[in-house]
Amino acid sequence: MPSYKPGNSVEITTSSEKFSGIIMPSSSKKFIFIKLKSGYNIGIRKTKIKKMKFLKKATKPKSKTKKVKQNKKLPTITILHTGGTIASKVDYKTGGVIARFTPEDIISMFPELKNIANIESHFISNIFSDDIRFKHYKIMAREIEKQYKKRVKGIIIGHGTDTLHYSAAALSFILKKCPIPVIFVGAQRSSDRASSDAAMNLISAALFITKTDFTGVAICMHETINDNTSIIIPGTKARKLHSSRRDAFKTINDVPIAKINYKTKKITILKPYINPNKELIIKPNMEEKVAILKIHPNMSEKQFLFYKNYKGLIMEGTGLGHAPVGTKEHAKILTAIKKIIKSGCIVAMSSQTIFGKVNMNVYSNGIKLLKAGVIPCEDMTTETAFIKLSWLLANYKKDKIKELMTTNLKGEINERLQTEFI
Amino acid sequence: MDYKKLGFKAGLEIHQQLESNKLFCSCPSLVNDPNPTTTIVKRKLRAVAGETEKVDIAAEYEKSKDKWVIYETKQTSSCLVELDEDPPHNINEEALEIALQISLLLNAKIVDKIQFMRKTIIDGSMTSGFQRTALIATDGEIKTSKGKVKIPTIMLEEEAAKKIKETPTEVVYSLDRLGVPLIEVTTNATLKDPEHVKEAASIIGMILRSTEKVKRGIGSIRQDVNISTKKHPRIEIKGFQDLRSIPKVIEIEIKRQLAKKTKQKPHVRKVNPGFTTTFLRPMPGSARLYPETDIRPIEITSKLLKKIKIPELLSERALKLEKGFKLNAQTAHGLIPKQKFFKFLVKKYPKIDPRFIAQVLIEHPKEIKSRYRVKVLDKYVEEVLSYFNSKKITKEAVFEILLELAQNKKIDLKKYEILPKEKLEKEIIAIVKKYKHLSFNAIMGEVMKEFRGKIDGREVASIIRKHK
Repeated sequence: MPSYKPGNSVEITTSSEKFSGIIMPSSSKKFIFIKLKSGYNIGIRKTKIKKMKFLKKATKPKSKTKKVKQNKKLPTITILHTGGTIASKVDYKTGGVIARFTPEDIISMFPELKNIANIESHFISNIFSDDIRFKHYKIMAREIEKQYKKRVKGIIIGHGTDTLHYSAAALSFILKKCPIPVIFVGAQRSSDRASSDAAMNLISAALFITKTDFTGVAICMHETINDNTSIIIPGTKARKLHSSRRDAFKTINDVPIAKINYKTKKITILKPYINPNKELIIKPNMEEKVAILKIHPNMSEKQFLFYKNYKGLIMEGTGLGHAPVGTKEHAKILTAIKKIIKSGCIVAMSSQTIFGKVNMNVYSNGIKLLKAGVIPCEDMTTETAFIKLSWLLANYKKDKIKELMTTNLKGEINERLQTEFI
Repeated sequence: MDYKKLGFKAGLEIHQQLESNKLFCSCPSLVNDPNPTTTIVKRKLRAVAGETEKVDIAAEYEKSKDKWVIYETKQTSSCLVELDEDPPHNINEEALEIALQISLLLNAKIVDKIQFMRKTIIDGSMTSGFQRTALIATDGEIKTSKGKVKIPTIMLEEEAAKKIKETPTEVVYSLDRLGVPLIEVTTNATLKDPEHVKEAASIIGMILRSTEKVKRGIGSIRQDVNISTKKHPRIEIKGFQDLRSIPKVIEIEIKRQLAKKTKQKPHVRKVNPGFTTTFLRPMPGSARLYPETDIRPIEITSKLLKKIKIPELLSERALKLEKGFKLNAQTAHGLIPKQKFFKFLVKKYPKIDPRFIAQVLIEHPKEIKSRYRVKVLDKYVEEVLSYFNSKKITKEAVFEILLELAQNKKIDLKKYEILPKEKLEKEIIAIVKKYKHLSFNAIMGEVMKEFRGKIDGREVASIIRKHK
């Protein structure tokens, strides 16, 4: 019996039928999957197979991607690929989607880009965004530095959406001085399908980079579930608020920087920006021993003491920034928090309400925590606070960190909250 | 026309909506949701390369139109899944079971592990840009008067959204229908002539309805016919309004083809009123199928197969009724949906001829509906038969009372009271005397005019004969 080598054409005779088709890659031990001439895939139970006749060897699909010509009149954008659904097609080995990242691939998938900019591309990784670690931020920063030296107009980072807002916040701090636009782009629907949001997000980002003088780190995603407008969200003020919708990313405690109309290509600036930097300075180090602890009812001091030797801890508190330290029963928790702080860990408080600002002066629980040395994270999202603390810990002395945590560095703190909400 | 000489080949593709929730979410299958629109969403679809790296020609054709697609959604009949804002949920198991049931009824062999595929469709009718479709069973067959016809494939798939409006710049769809489970049954191209196509379609339709879990009414079943001749490549004809039009449409299409002098390309045509057809779009290729990675392949276990009950075919059920109660074929067919109730009535009213019960249950309501536009409920049938069974009324009164019940009138049984025989005879004699000069039939008419519903016609006739 010939091997079940994917791509081979075979004729399979079972106890009741005969099928011919191409063997599909599959991780199944019990079944063999073949693609019939009709295009349909079916799984055949291996034990049922009486005979398998080899018909034809696998043929490699010829990729006909033409070398893309550079247009000297257009600026250049480099697309860094880290993973995710932004530039992907079906992978028949895993049944999942795989990334495509050569400039030719990108142009063949999104031909509109050709008229906006010359596209360079660079592959960093192809991992689920859940698998992104601090070391990847460093790789991104180094690559941005390289591209900056090549005088590109801007950078687009293709990124899986799950932790995209963490990465955007990280690069916001790491690129301490950033004279070019660095726009993170994700997709909630993979680009192998006609309904993908990838094209609109990518094209809108490219338009924003080439048509404005914005510098710094931001995110470009759908504004609504319609395919008509994208928004540019500040890198430190974004959060994924929906597991599946195209407009999952929202601006938290701020307004988007701009809005791009996909049809008219019109860009509307919603929040005026300044471009203070003329040079690129990167500070890519991050402290690894930092964590987030979500506050919830029925906690015990053990849950806090776990972080005793951590360098930093963001407590995602309730409401205005609270934790259970009010009753006698919870006195041990307050003691535990004090112990962690004493051990040298910087403990800061964000709010799990997502929207709004932390204010620990209003209730006695907050006051107790403040007195214990917990730093309020103002209106920062938990994710941004976590990233900021990790970055500060690797780049500043302890006293300075306490001060900087509550100082706006990269738009992460908005001192004048308006009525923006979902 | 000599279809054999023409090299006529025809095959059917039958799409039937299933009576179950949607295939990949928990929304009810409200094909025509009467509720108001709650959200309007605007989208743009792009042509994408399929698995074979070729952008499919049918997909490309649609792309050239480059329109905005507008979706009208109603929260009563769709959710984020239909809007392509949420990945598909687990398959609706009931729909899968119905599909398996249909496969077994068609004597097909069920696939060991089914894999849903994405069939690229970018006319906007699928919000995702593809239809989720799976090959469920292969190698089935049906018996027709002109021999066995093979059913090579049975598919389970999602119904498309309903097009409401199209302008040069946009196309509007309603999402109530999107995602309704749909069965596709195909025959091979061995149907011999237009009448044979109709017969096969009718048999497959009967088999589908035998599950009693398929949707009924306009649009719930659609027949696409593929035809080719020696002179003309494959043409797919879509949009038949009903089975009866199939032979006529094919005939006209073949005549149209015969009139063409230049070489023709395969394409899809749609049926117009008046049995003609017009060009719809080029034939889609096979490049448009690739695996739906959001749904893991589904193993059809022996445990699941054991659960599937094979229903008796409607044709067999009708035949049983026909023979068992000496009914005519048409009444027997009509009785099938009310079979249980019919048998209950037969048992409850043993003194009444089952044929009469069938008539009261099936024919009378039909007549009352067409003549008086009112609906006869089952409970009215039961009520009126109980009067007849206890001899409170005559056979003639049954229809009248049924009508009155359907019209919500108060029933005065006295009006229909059966007269004692002596009294009746007296009355009749008086009428016979009065109209002595008239014919038998005329006198009969006079009597019945007076006593309709109160007396038995045969008895009247015998009395008149006696005294005339």
